[in-house]
Amino acid sequence: MKHRFNLLMILLMIAGMVLAACGGGATPAPAQQPAQEQPAPQQQPAQPTEAPTEAAPTEAAAPVSADALPRKETLYYNGFQWGPVVGWNPYSNSNNNGMAIAQQDSARVTMFETPYLYNMLDGKQYPLLADGDWSWNEDRTEITFKIKPAARWSDGTPVTAEDVAYTWATHVKYETAIGAANRDYIETIEAVDPQTVVIKAKLDENGRAVNPLIVQAYLSTNYVVQKAWTQKLEERSGGDPTKLLADPAEDVVYSGPYGKFFADDTKVVLVRNDNYWGQDPSMWGKLPAPKYLAHVIFKDNAAGTTALAAGEVDVSQQFNSNVQDLWEKQNLPISTYLPDPPYHIGASLPTAFYNLKAHGLDQVCIRKAIAIAVDYPAIIANAMTNQSATFEQVPRSLMNPTPFEQAMYNREAVKHLQWVGNDIEGAKKLLDECGVVDTDGDGWREYNGQKLSYVATCPNGWSDWQAAIEIVAAAGKQIGIDITTNFPEWSVYQTVVTKSDTPLPPGYEIFMMWSAGAGPTQPWGRIRNLLSSEWIGLPSNWSGNWGQYSNPEVDELLKLIPHETDEAKLKEMYTRLVEIYLTDVPSFTLMYRPQNFHTVNESVWTNFPHQGDGTNPPVPPLNLTDGWSIAGLYNLTLVEP
Amino acid sequence: MQHTLRQVFRSGKFIVGFSILMTILLIVIIYPWVVRHPPLQIIGQGTFFPPGIYVNVYDAIHAPTLYTLNLEDAAANRIGNKLRQEDRVAMKEWLVAFGVPEDEIDIDDTEKLLALWEANYNPDLRLPGMTFARHRYFQRVNASIDGLLSTEPAIIAAPNSETGALEQKALIRQTDYANVDEVANVRILALGTDNFGRDVLTQLVAATAVSLVIGLVAGLIATTIGLTLGLLAGYIGGLVDDVLMFFTNLFTVIPTFVLLILISFSIGQDKRGAITIAMVIGFTSWVWTARAVRSQVLSLRNRDHVNLSKLSGHSVPRIILVDILPYIASYVVMAFILQVSSGILAEAGLSILGLGPRTTETPTLGLMMNWAMIYQAHILGKWWAYLPVLVTIALVSFSMNLMNTGLDQVFNPALRD
Repeated sequence: MKHRFNLLMILLMIAGMVLAACGGGATPAPAQQPAQEQPAPQQQPAQPTEAPTEAAPTEAAAPVSADALPRKETLYYNGFQWGPVVGWNPYSNSNNNGMAIAQQDSARVTMFETPYLYNMLDGKQYPLLADGDWSWNEDRTEITFKIKPAARWSDGTPVTAEDVAYTWATHVKYETAIGAANRDYIETIEAVDPQTVVIKAKLDENGRAVNPLIVQAYLSTNYVVQKAWTQKLEERSGGDPTKLLADPAEDVVYSGPYGKFFADDTKVVLVRNDNYWGQDPSMWGKLPAPKYLAHVIFKDNAAGTTALAAGEVDVSQQFNSNVQDLWEKQNLPISTYLPDPPYHIGASLPTAFYNLKAHGLDQVCIRKAIAIAVDYPAIIANAMTNQSATFEQVPRSLMNPTPFEQAMYNREAVKHLQWVGNDIEGAKKLLDECGVVDTDGDGWREYNGQKLSYVATCPNGWSDWQAAIEIVAAAGKQIGIDITTNFPEWSVYQTVVTKSDTPLPPGYEIFMMWSAGAGPTQPWGRIRNLLSSEWIGLPSNWSGNWGQYSNPEVDELLKLIPHETDEAKLKEMYTRLVEIYLTDVPSFTLMYRPQNFHTVNESVWTNFPHQGDGTNPPVPPLNLTDGWSIAGLYNLTLVEP
Repeated sequence: MQHTLRQVFRSGKFIVGFSILMTILLIVIIYPWVVRHPPLQIIGQGTFFPPGIYVNVYDAIHAPTLYTLNLEDAAANRIGNKLRQEDRVAMKEWLVAFGVPEDEIDIDDTEKLLALWEANYNPDLRLPGMTFARHRYFQRVNASIDGLLSTEPAIIAAPNSETGALEQKALIRQTDYANVDEVANVRILALGTDNFGRDVLTQLVAATAVSLVIGLVAGLIATTIGLTLGLLAGYIGGLVDDVLMFFTNLFTVIPTFVLLILISFSIGQDKRGAITIAMVIGFTSWVWTARAVRSQVLSLRNRDHVNLSKLSGHSVPRIILVDILPYIASYVVMAFILQVSSGILAEAGLSILGLGPRTTETPTLGLMMNWAMIYQAHILGKWWAYLPVLVTIALVSFSMNLMNTGLDQVFNPALRD
């Protein structure tokens, strides 16, 4: 054991020295050589479409060890992977495989691919495996799209409509998480011919699709998996769903540009498939620039930040506090998507929920008073170290700060309702007016003769949330409402908060949870999570509305929106929802948080997505792995070629 | 007694340790009388403001008198503050890359350099081969040198309440100075602010007090338990000894800190006050005191004076208190001091793991370290958020250990010189 340890240490040291030697010259290179325009590596003459034959990705051919990857061919990440990879199985959602698998609003498409790619900056879906745009039929009950003729699996066989259909059938048959989440909305997925897919939506009693939005979203959130490999997987798991989901799938066939190269408890490395179909002119026309995508598994955020500062990490998907110090104070070639605060594009709205059943919190004026008294600038400046847009920059609504969502409601119509916080006098006045005053002179206000005293809470160890909750509590004290804080462990917190079939216990009067980020069903999906009464009564509610708010008008609007196609009407409905939300205050947003943190170090690679980088459609700052952000991998160039 | 004390205070080590501890104690007691800010108030909007004197700009402009000082190096300082040497070199690089002949650029001539820069620099132009980080660096330099050579006074204007148009209220010339004593609001943040925007020095003083109390309570509890068990086991012996030592040995084999972590975790965050933590620490760290006291008592119990007392028919408690305790008192005092010091360290250790007293109601040294680490102060070079805390912890435990060594030299004949 000890011997092995020593050997490992020696290997590590050698690797370290090699890395240091390679990295030595990679100091921030100022532009000394003027204009030496080099043509992008795009010369490959249009590959014949049938090109990649049986020639499977020849991993063995690469005489490279994972301990000494060539620095100039490797893009290093942090913040995706904590702990060792469990598996490579696209049907399972417990792979703990941050580099390869994440089927989400902006799906991670490094190894597996979705028919379409979602772009959170413009809210559109761009074809990947699919050929051209999808289309609804007349009644909006069926979506039809084509598969690109060039699309190939890593074993060289073509991707067909049959694969898409079989993937869905497998999800349903084995009751995967994806199957369960979409079963109520998608009836079947069928292959009309090898190239054409038809998705039939589940219909409601009126013969309309139950929810066309969710059907649309399926196209860019879920991978297509090869039918032949799936059948192999089914065969070896003998039809047992548990076995099928637990299979590590080391032999999985994929269609994306990267595949597994190496994985243990110290790092994960993906290697480019040089036969990747996407170099066909019908897609990217070339291969992505880095040959390897590597992720060292760091112990914690601090270790990750140190590596980023040292240039050992190129793309950082983690919260680096005071990120601007890295370039302003330490003069490192590090940057974020935006040059100034908030540095990132906010996508989700971490929210403080009220327990609407608690004494006094059933009163709108008390809820609103607390919400307008909170010092949001302090939350943003201190808890988030300015990595969130302020409520002056992006006034509060139900929308995230992306331009696409901001355009979905009429800001002028609700302007009078949008508070910016720190309004102690306003809050006091509001409370006085609705008769919530201090009657017994102890300094705290009473409602119906009972002192207003609440506990504000969030999970222990979630530092930015804890700091935010402290600031909420401080606001209460200033307006005569006794708010103390409490931070239970996450294991306790989550079971209490997600139990929506009973009222919340004392100690959870004000509590913090997340809301959805950017995605193809947004902002509808987020609003549904925040406000829909359909979540009340669930014994395990991971969706939202944990404060158990119920408003028939909201429920009605939420039912109508997925069917509405008229932009003006949609805007009207969204504006009404924002108006209700800001009037009733069942919960309130504390900050904006990016979908992914995206900080890059340009010691080795450059041309990362930045605001105003000239890409069209704009490449979103999602670490060049998620949704349309993968396009950024094709733009990367070396600082010193 | 007097003699002992005199002897103790003749030990150099004890005196040094004692004076360090007393200085810390004095500061802890006096500081809150002088600086009456609540230690946990969030004053800074933003994290980790560096140590220094913070002068309110609004009040400085409105100081009762503005003095005119004609200082020669004022302009140079002003420029140097915004435009460092490395920025000048970088500006030259940009200009050369853009195509300005190198011999036309003199980076020491600020005026010429800025004129060249203004004529050629285009913030939207990203030169080929230039990284985004570098591109943005130049944009920052450009913003920072804007109006650098201006000698015009700054204009203070306020909107007219009727028309809304800006009206000039005052001029601030470049030679205007305000006396800090005359500025209404000046706040000295000798150790800057922490991640919550709280005054680190004020918090540190309050935290030291809390940590000392935690140490004291933990030390008292541990020493009391250890002493009682040790005395009983040692003097009574027999079955009592066997039973007590069984428990003591049981506790000896369980790693104390692990036990501490488990207990703190199971108490739950809502009930973890500073005193609770102190008690938990006290109840888990008495083991060695008990064992040591027992062995001392074992050697004492067969002394002549003890036997005499027994023969005289004195009760067991009386014998223990009068005939045995005084002989081990010096050891107990030393053990107590070490218990206090290790109690403080244990709290710091627990808090760094996030298992200390509940956050932000009482400051403790460990909590300050915990938050400084969560917000990466050590990586970003914000030394004021963690180094003073470390030094304080080190000083407290150093002074106590020094006192202990001093006492040891006095009381232990083998060590006496």
